[in-house]
Amino acid sequence: MPARNLQQWKEVPGQLKPGEYVDSRIYSDKQIFEEELAKIWKNVWVPVCHESELEKPYDFRTVTISREPVIVVRGTDNQVRAFLNVCPHRGNMIENRPSGSFENGTPSGAPKHMTCMFHAWQFDMKGNCVHISRSKEGYQDRLDCKDVGLRRLRCEVKYGGFVWVTLNDKIEHSVKEWVQGSFDCMQEALDAEPLEVFHYHKAIIPCNYKLWHDTNSEFYHDYLHYHNRVTGFNDSYFARQNKVFDNGHVNVGSFEVQYDNYEGFESREELSFPHLPANHWEMIDLFPGMNFNLRGSALRVDLMTPLGPDKVMIEYRGLGLKSDTPEERLTRQRHHNSIWGPFGRNLHEDLIAVSTQQATMNEWADARRILHGRYEGETIHDEVGMRHFYDEWGKWMDRWPGDPELSYDEGLKKVA
Amino acid sequence: MKMDNIESLISKTIYKASLYLDEFRWDDWLDLCDKDFYYSIQAFSPEIDKNMIYLDGTFDQMKGITEMLPKHNTDRSPLSRHTVVYTIDVDNEKGTADAVSSLAVYQTQLDGINSHVLAGESNLFMVGKYRDKFILNNGKPKFIERITQLDTRRLDKGSHWPI
Repeated sequence: MPARNLQQWKEVPGQLKPGEYVDSRIYSDKQIFEEELAKIWKNVWVPVCHESELEKPYDFRTVTISREPVIVVRGTDNQVRAFLNVCPHRGNMIENRPSGSFENGTPSGAPKHMTCMFHAWQFDMKGNCVHISRSKEGYQDRLDCKDVGLRRLRCEVKYGGFVWVTLNDKIEHSVKEWVQGSFDCMQEALDAEPLEVFHYHKAIIPCNYKLWHDTNSEFYHDYLHYHNRVTGFNDSYFARQNKVFDNGHVNVGSFEVQYDNYEGFESREELSFPHLPANHWEMIDLFPGMNFNLRGSALRVDLMTPLGPDKVMIEYRGLGLKSDTPEERLTRQRHHNSIWGPFGRNLHEDLIAVSTQQATMNEWADARRILHGRYEGETIHDEVGMRHFYDEWGKWMDRWPGDPELSYDEGLKKVA
Repeated sequence: MKMDNIESLISKTIYKASLYLDEFRWDDWLDLCDKDFYYSIQAFSPEIDKNMIYLDGTFDQMKGITEMLPKHNTDRSPLSRHTVVYTIDVDNEKGTADAVSSLAVYQTQLDGINSHVLAGESNLFMVGKYRDKFILNNGKPKFIERITQLDTRRLDKGSHWPI
């Protein structure tokens, strides 16, 4: 067919059906974005950091979930806990550093306490308020420490030592129930022995968070990557199976990567993760925007923090075994970063693609259809992962992804 | 050779390297390097309290990486290195020298996100330091090591190119 006029351009192409495309406004509309934060991101488990980032009692990490500042601390009982990083007095952020330790004092506070530097209120590692400056003089008997503990958040350490936090006190699922078996493909490898983060970097990218998640779940875009084409694109690659799980999660099945086919690269066999066959590659895409990617010798974990309809922060972590020798760690780091680091062969290409994808879908652009209608027996270039994600998204949002002005049920009727 | 001359040659070599890298003259850049050259881009992460190696390689590996670049998709927006040599320490007995340079890298958009709007715009891409080691053969300096130590850790789209 020749290039299409406006009317033809607006029609559903070919024989595609509702459910096999989404409306581009779901990537650009401000109201939809705000709804996503409120309905989805504030109600799911988020793997905010790894336990190796808080190795000793009094260590902390600060993060953000759905615009809420969160602090994760390790207590003297070695338990990891999470709190809103907000002082109950005047709403100041208690700790501004990305990481550190409360073992030593701060200019406003005593050692071994979280201290708000503004008015020196102090809290212990369990979030109890233990000191209000000039309490009796100002509050008499109307307020004391027991009234102003920190806001605690539900927190679990799970799946290779990741720290999972949710803003929803009433969440019905444990982390295990939430992930619905999607970790079965790599849990043995992740939990065989303690892991350690060796790489961390972040990118703030002008694209909607879902576009990054799409890119992690669809491998049809391997045409973008010279590295993936030459190390994959054989029969076993095309046989990789996508497997969907409840709650919107997806596994991308494994195959043996032929690293030697890329000049200068080497087999990852010697440093394979425990229980992972040599040079294999398992991937989990978790709804609504996390990715666990175990590739031979290194685990990559992506966490998305949506910042706006066309802006996302992606944190990239690389992990190896805590028992690594320095030489093993260096090799593992090289394996990870040669593909996935900020100067790696693949990550740069992916980030360019999602940026230019979003550039055609800004809030002033006409709505258009974004297709995910490939069916190939749920193998690697079948777009079942995206279809599964957007079906889940529609349920949480009560919007039909193919026409977000329709409710989910109204959209379902269109399919029927 | 007089010390002033050696230091001047080392400075010129560092500045030539910046120009060659700016101009994608990878082979000319590697010609300034010894066959035992080691290159790396590193940064310290306060988030995980660890030094990280983002990219590294030997002379042959860097040659391989640069030769493979045409096979990869990339952001074609050129990078300009503003390099200032701060210190040079020559060890005449060993025939080696260490140099530290300040580095700021600017990116002038060509592709950008939407080239119609953004092409021509320059932005600061990263800052850091070059920590270079040289071997002096008959007074002629060759890079034997370059550590590009970045202060910038938010690299957003990143790059395929050595810095």
